[in-house]
Amino acid sequence: MSLAQQLVNGIVIGHAYALVAVGWTLLLGSARLVNFGHGQMYMVGAFIAWWVMRMTGLPYLLAIPAAVCAGAAIGAGMQRLMLRLTLEQNLVSLMIVTLGFGQMLEGAAGFAFGPQPQRLTSPLEAIDLRWGPIWFTAQDVLLVVATILVFLLLRWVLGRTVLGSWVRMVAEDPKLTQLGGVDVARVYMGIFAFEGAAVAFAATLVAPRTPILTSMGFEQVIMTFVVVVVGGIGSVGGSYAAGLAVGLFTAFFGALVSPAYTTAAVFVVLIAVMVLRPGDLAAGRGFAR
Amino acid sequence: MKPILELHDLSVAYAGSAALAVPGLALEAGTLSGVVGANGAGKSTLVNAIAGWSRAAPAVAGRILFDGEDIAALPAHERVRRGLLLVPEGRGVFLSLSVEENLRAVMPPRGRGFTMDEVFALFPRLAERRRNPAGAMSGGERQMLALGRALRLGPRVLLLDEPSIGLAPRLVITLLQAVRRLVDDGLTVLLVEQNVRAASAVVDTLYLLERGRVVARGPVAAMQNDPRIIEAYLGASHG
Repeated sequence: MSLAQQLVNGIVIGHAYALVAVGWTLLLGSARLVNFGHGQMYMVGAFIAWWVMRMTGLPYLLAIPAAVCAGAAIGAGMQRLMLRLTLEQNLVSLMIVTLGFGQMLEGAAGFAFGPQPQRLTSPLEAIDLRWGPIWFTAQDVLLVVATILVFLLLRWVLGRTVLGSWVRMVAEDPKLTQLGGVDVARVYMGIFAFEGAAVAFAATLVAPRTPILTSMGFEQVIMTFVVVVVGGIGSVGGSYAAGLAVGLFTAFFGALVSPAYTTAAVFVVLIAVMVLRPGDLAAGRGFAR
Repeated sequence: MKPILELHDLSVAYAGSAALAVPGLALEAGTLSGVVGANGAGKSTLVNAIAGWSRAAPAVAGRILFDGEDIAALPAHERVRRGLLLVPEGRGVFLSLSVEENLRAVMPPRGRGFTMDEVFALFPRLAERRRNPAGAMSGGERQMLALGRALRLGPRVLLLDEPSIGLAPRLVITLLQAVRRLVDDGLTVLLVEQNVRAASAVVDTLYLLERGRVVARGPVAAMQNDPRIIEAYLGASHG
């Protein structure tokens, strides 16, 4: 395969990583929350879209909003569960609760959807686009465009709207936010709902690339965590760049060295980043947009 | 006239140890009351308890009547919406937000509250720096911004916790005079102030707190002659 083809593959994979990570980035930047249930929320989003299409016969593009709504509801439910811990910023307990929440989702999904691999089929996967020696699908185009739009939208909301100001206020000082007459619990609710909706949206766009399994969440959580950390905690632009970088690295490493060691190689890079830029995980409050 | 704010048997404890006990205290509408006392006397504890707010986790008991309604069980943001505002000690603004964002990102109740232009008219300095992040401003400018933020929310009672801390003497006078003008326009203010001399120049009533108790109270003219105030806060030269 040509280098140009790898470049395109890398860009597509990179946008997939970035889109999967966007909700977590906001969650981490505003609520200081590491959500180890993120991968299972991705899995549930994919399976809900698959299930809606199968049970109701709705077309793929209408199954997307259904999965997004379900994702938002799961995120909001998670917030209800963890509100007290979030307000107390009890980070260790929060990590354990999110890990447990993910396992619960995985168990429930296994029970509801069965252990067999399934396919979330998008009609856009079948539309091949060629440009000289380069090949990609309409689904790839949709993924890249949707990712760019989601990031631009998030950036605009955070930087230009009152809603975004509340999120940044909660990120900087949740206690002080209360004195602005803002119900902090509802801001957290919105952030969690966005996290759930965004990861479900990502799942509906990314999951058609491969068979889906109820056990696929853990792998997602690992790579997404890498993207969020490399991007700089809570940095929206940073996580987009990091997603793209990890995607390109994955594509080129897979093509030039070996796909079998990609994850290990990504972690070598991650550790290098953590060592060279210490303090990222403990970065101060507030958003670097 | 019925007081706008009344406290009955208010007590506050941190981790089981009592920090404040106020059997009764009432603020008349349109007055400026000062709370003075040494460090640790419970001044911040008092205003924080009234606002239902704290960075720690105190146990607060007692009744707080705001315009006749017992608000003691309400969360801080609900008290804010009723018009009970606190500008806390130290950090009262969001450093990562611009001046304008700090003023815009509040929940102003309908029909009450300063417009942005009214805040800028009161503190022209803020208008000049409206696009700057609050983190790039001086302590005095931040205090003006914190006060402006509170005014945007349409306060009926404003609790100010040490607004003069760290400010140059001239700025202290400017700020307190601005507060006095707001009171003359009808606002009710409870002002916690270390700078007793500056506070005495603007307040109507003075409360002296010691070890969590109100040990003296009265009109400022009388309180200025109280030996405990003179001895501890105003120095011999005043008498």
